Amino acid sequence: MTDSRWVGRSYETAPFEVTEQSIRDYMAAVGDVGEDEELTAPPTYAMVYGFDAYWQLWTDQEVALDVAHLVHGEQRFSFQRPVRPGDRIRTTGRLTAINARNEMELVTFELKARDAEDQPVSDGTALFIIRKA
Amino acid sequence: MKTLRTLDFEQVSPGQALPPLTKHVTVEQIRQYAEASGDHNPIHLDESFARSAGLPGVIAHGMLTMAFANQMVTDWLGNRSLLKSLHGRFAGMVVPGDDVTCSGTVASKDDGTRRVVINLVVTNQRGEKVFNKGVAEAEFPPQRSSTHAA
Repeated sequence: MTDSRWVGRSYETAPFEVTEQSIRDYMAAVGDVGEDEELTAPPTYAMVYGFDAYWQLWTDQEVALDVAHLVHGEQRFSFQRPVRPGDRIRTTGRLTAINARNEMELVTFELKARDAEDQPVSDGTALFIIRKA
Repeated sequence: MKTLRTLDFEQVSPGQALPPLTKHVTVEQIRQYAEASGDHNPIHLDESFARSAGLPGVIAHGMLTMAFANQMVTDWLGNRSLLKSLHGRFAGMVVPGDDVTCSGTVASKDDGTRRVVINLVVTNQRGEKVFNKGVAEAEFPPQRSSTHAA
């Protein structure tokens, strides 16, 4: 069981520079290639510009989540504005809960993404399930 | 390549089904998603590691399935900027070779706020839910004579 004293720990990404190539690579990978009038990232691209916050959590040696047994259980996003090439987005993720349920551990991670003017871009909440080894 | 064209809010009605979207998931697509997203967790890429972690083999990223649900909604909206929220549970694993189908239904429509709520589910080729309790919310721009708001 992960130590609950890590609840409240937060992680911040470096500014993520959104490029046309990065958006197009994501669109090709998921197969969502419809063309908007102006190139706009699919909203779930939030996982790309925010990814380093997740990565920092998963690799935090002190928190030591059992990532080999971690699966994504639930995800929530809200989108405050579209994301386009040229955006610089910084995401902060915060470990907000660790709960035991049955044979599993539930880890809640809440994220806020903001642009270069410090205006909100998107919010996310991920629930990870850690299965028993 | 398809050009998206914004749906007319007046054409939306509660109970309406969205055009479903089916995707055939492959090892290549999972690798491509890992590259594009940065998520190189070996449970998605390394067959023997995935088995040692108690999985049947490599599994697709949950976020790939959610991206399919996202696409079904934004293809229907015809405009990625209208989507305001997306939520759901990863109810089952998706493995290479699966055919997953996204389905959606308009749950409600508010003429005042011009908001539409859509219920979503993704099932595999056996009819098992792999993504459930899905909800998307969209907000249409204020009514105007031109429909070409960016």
